[in-house]
Amino acid sequence: MGYRMYFVVEDDPAVADALESLLEGAGLEVCVFGSAEELMRNGLPKANDTMIVDLGLPGMSGGELVRRLGKVGAAPRVIAISGKSSRTIAREVEGINDIKILRKPPSADWLEAITA
Amino acid sequence: MVKVDDRNTTVNEARFESLLDTAADGIIVMDERGRMLVFNKICETMFGYSSEEAVGKPVNLIMPPEFSTDHDRYVRNYHRTGEKRIIGIGREVSGMHKDGTVFPLELSVGEAVTPEGRQYIGVLRDLRPRRAVEVRVSQLQAQVVHMTRLSAMDEMGAAMAHELNQPLTALLLYLQAVTRQIKNSHAEGQVPSEKVLGVLDKAVTEAERASHIVQRMRQMVEKRDPERATIDLREVVNEALDLSEFVAQSATVTIRRVYGPNPIWVDADATQIQQIVLNLLRNALEVAKESEERWVKVSIGSDDRSAVVSVTDSGPGFSEEVSRSLFKTFSTTKKSGMGLGLAISRAIAQNHGGDLMADSGGSGQGATFTLVLPVHRAAVDEG
Ligand SMILES: Nc1ncnc2c1ncn2[C@@H]1O[C@H](COP(=O)(O)OP(=O)(O)OP(=O)(O)O)[C@@H](O)[C@H]1O
Ligand SMILES: [Mg+2]
Repeated sequence: MGYRMYFVVEDDPAVADALESLLEGAGLEVCVFGSAEELMRNGLPKANDTMIVDLGLPGMSGGELVRRLGKVGAAPRVIAISGKSSRTIAREVEGINDIKILRKPPSADWLEAITA
Repeated sequence: MVKVDDRNTTVNEARFESLLDTAADGIIVMDERGRMLVFNKICETMFGYSSEEAVGKPVNLIMPPEFSTDHDRYVRNYHRTGEKRIIGIGREVSGMHKDGTVFPLELSVGEAVTPEGRQYIGVLRDLRPRRAVEVRVSQLQAQVVHMTRLSAMDEMGAAMAHELNQPLTALLLYLQAVTRQIKNSHAEGQVPSEKVLGVLDKAVTEAERASHIVQRMRQMVEKRDPERATIDLREVVNEALDLSEFVAQSATVTIRRVYGPNPIWVDADATQIQQIVLNLLRNALEVAKESEERWVKVSIGSDDRSAVVSVTDSGPGFSEEVSRSLFKTFSTTKKSGMGLGLAISRAIAQNHGGDLMADSGGSGQGATFTLVLPVHRAAVDEG
């Protein structure tokens, strides 16, 4: 078992950097992207990777990215992060199954939630 | 072009004339040189000239003299640059009756290209009847403004929550990372590494980012009731400029001050007005610094109703897209900007019964921001 790579897709540089520190500190292999487009250009995550994606990305949204990956058969484990209201989040991830949601700002330890 | 025979033209012309005369608005057609070709019935009563008197004369005939020079300049400028100040936009202007009465008009202008050259069609509406209603409505409006301000605060609350979310998220994640690393080092009997300190530094930066947002928002809310005094706008603006020049001692941008010799009295909170000037100046200096000519011009002027401070820079101006969200809280194109400067400035200006406007510039022109404030009442009576 165990996931290989952690893909972080987050446009706020500080949040991305903090997430990277947290994951790398735990010895995980992390790859950070500032937008969905950037990730798509640089090789897609595989089934046993984990993708942590901000739903409110500029350009292609996080939800859209997850749907696109599903269509091309790249189905990593997905964790979505968002600072929006739960109703907005529900709308944004409609039709996507198996998605774990983490809300900003964190109210519990995210490393545990991510690696669980 | 469509070819029309003479008979047809006559029929069309007759129909056109009667249409003009039944129109509810004043209609004027003007040629490229500013001469009036058509002057309909409504215009006759509006301005007191008969159609015979007006047709063939320059359109300046029905404008107050001070406006007429501006108008010539606009037309020339439009021919040269194609820059539209009024065509397709419509705006409020002043007209002058034959007896010298100056009155407010709403004017919209269309343009047509004819075999005889460009023609302009102006549709005019006397605003005086509307004005009377406006005065009565203004008390009601005050209440509405109060209400919209409350809902703007709601919106701001939401925007603020969103904005604070990012630094807080980053901060908490940095702290989670540090906590883990310290625990691990502790378990292994080691001292926490340099890396831990680095992460802590970043955490502090994010905490500061969050508190800075709160501080600036607080300025906006706390100073809702300005401390008004009758102040000379030139003096207040000067002080702000001196301050900013003092702070940026080594600056390479020239600040030009264009003021008249007379004091301009306004009832305002000096500190708040300076806050506006400093916000505008900071934006202007930032773009001017990167420009070739490196200047910012601050001019102050007034007429009998309002005082005006405008800040122009040698930068590139801004795009249509930026202009749409210019005054919105947290809309910024800068890496380190918060997008609060203009939103705060406009709120202050409106709290003073004035406003803040922007001209995007572009194609070699820098942006111009114009603060308008009502002039001190007594000054109007004396003057
Ligand atoms: N003089 C100017 N020339 C060109 N663009 C401008 C100018 N002034 C403002 N802008 C545009 O308007 C945006 C909003 O300005 P505003 O002052 O509200 O926020 P900011 O400068 O980005 O951040 P801050 O809250 O630190 O002032 C800027 O990001 C910039 O894109
Ligand atoms: Mg600014």
